[in-house]
Amino acid sequence: MTAHPPQYPAQALPNPGWGPLSALPGNPLMWVLILSEMLVFTAFFALYAWQRAADVAGFNAAQQALDPLVGGLNTLVLLSSGLCVALAVEAISRDRRRRARQWLAASMALGVLFCVVKVVEYADKFAAGVTPDSHLFFGFYYGLTAFHFAHVLFGLGLLALVTWRTSTDNVETAAAFWHMVDLIWILLYPLIYLLR
Amino acid sequence: MIQLPGTRRLLATWLTLMALTLVAMLSARLDQDSWEPLPLVSALLVLMVTGFKAQRLLMVYLNLRAATPAWKGTFVGLVILTLTLIGGGYLAPRLVG
Repeated sequence: MTAHPPQYPAQALPNPGWGPLSALPGNPLMWVLILSEMLVFTAFFALYAWQRAADVAGFNAAQQALDPLVGGLNTLVLLSSGLCVALAVEAISRDRRRRARQWLAASMALGVLFCVVKVVEYADKFAAGVTPDSHLFFGFYYGLTAFHFAHVLFGLGLLALVTWRTSTDNVETAAAFWHMVDLIWILLYPLIYLLR
Repeated sequence: MIQLPGTRRLLATWLTLMALTLVAMLSARLDQDSWEPLPLVSALLVLMVTGFKAQRLLMVYLNLRAATPAWKGTFVGLVILTLTLIGGGYLAPRLVG
């Protein structure tokens, strides 16, 4: 009996020697991080959905203070940044280091744009007197988006690091983290901004 | 050596993701001035579009298509679970009354 399905012989696996993780592309530990982050955010999203169900009118009234178009704009920015980082992986895999760095720089520029839009949004809310204490909805809004924002900042640091130390493994690992940040936002955006 | 998605597939996926984001925004009736709770059909469309976007991102951007079906199922299953929890919390008050 073999440890892997017949169509995936051990020598053909992306990461031989990593046990169950050996069938995942890229750095296996990054996948552990992605899975754990997804579980953490899923728990927060479930908590939000539960609390909203207990106070639909209050959550809906509070949600009106947000601008879903700004959230949508940031979604488009982050998805485009994800494309740039994926193209950086393609470039470095063909040993086109300079092109990979250019794509990484483009993805970081878009990541910074995401941060600028988010900071302007936060400033606008605080100027209007909307704080995490204003309503439970805003506690979730600030908590979830700020937690995600922290991931964006960390991701930008990682991208800067691999732009400096450019290798296939490094770029793949940073790209996986960046795509995870993208994935979380894709799930967060409709929950906080769209569903009412 | 892992087979990467390739530039054409990446660009096609990006276009799909951008278009689906606009579909979600239109489904949420952001083009209308009045602010009212979404019809159920619109809310379901937003959730379905979100699920498809997450699936595309996992399979192409994260290249999970190169993994085994078990891993694909695990990650896509987690996305479905997340959206079910979100959708359940959204629908419950409407269905209960």
